[in-house]
Amino acid sequence: MAKPVLRKPKKKANPLKAAKVENIDYKDAALLRKFISDRGKIRARRVTGVSVQEQRLIATAVKNAREMALLPYSSSSR
Amino acid sequence: MRQYELMVIFDPELDERSVPETLDKFLTVITKDGGTIDNIDHWGRRRLSYEIKKKAEGTYAVATFTCEPATSKELDRQLGLNEQVLRTKLLRTNA
Repeated sequence: MAKPVLRKPKKKANPLKAAKVENIDYKDAALLRKFISDRGKIRARRVTGVSVQEQRLIATAVKNAREMALLPYSSSSR
Repeated sequence: MRQYELMVIFDPELDERSVPETLDKFLTVITKDGGTIDNIDHWGRRRLSYEIKKKAEGTYAVATFTCEPATSKELDRQLGLNEQVLRTKLLRTNA
């Protein structure tokens, strides 16, 4: 029986550390745009490479920004 | 006393120069009830990501202040009643 190949997931560089962001603010739409897809959806943690705690803060920030029309709920690219 | 942050989107038909005046009028509720206004930031006119009340633009303003919870609630209620206010967001800072 062939042994299943265990692939080690490549650890992504934390984009927040790279941008030197300390607190995630819903007003910073330019930063939050990095964490949404071009259709306006929030990117998964495995894509963004941030910690669980940070991802949660990002998610609420994106949702707050959407309420204030700083970010789209959906982009009609199709 | 608690710290709050308020973001308001005003109607684009409201003259941009009269926005600071309008916002000040609303914020007098806080000073009257013993609170303090720490900072006001006017972003000016911005495009909205989606239409609100058929408007594609809005004039943004952000204010941070310290006041009692009941006062902030009253302020948010009054803003919601005003026709020139498209949307508001009241959040607690350092919470």
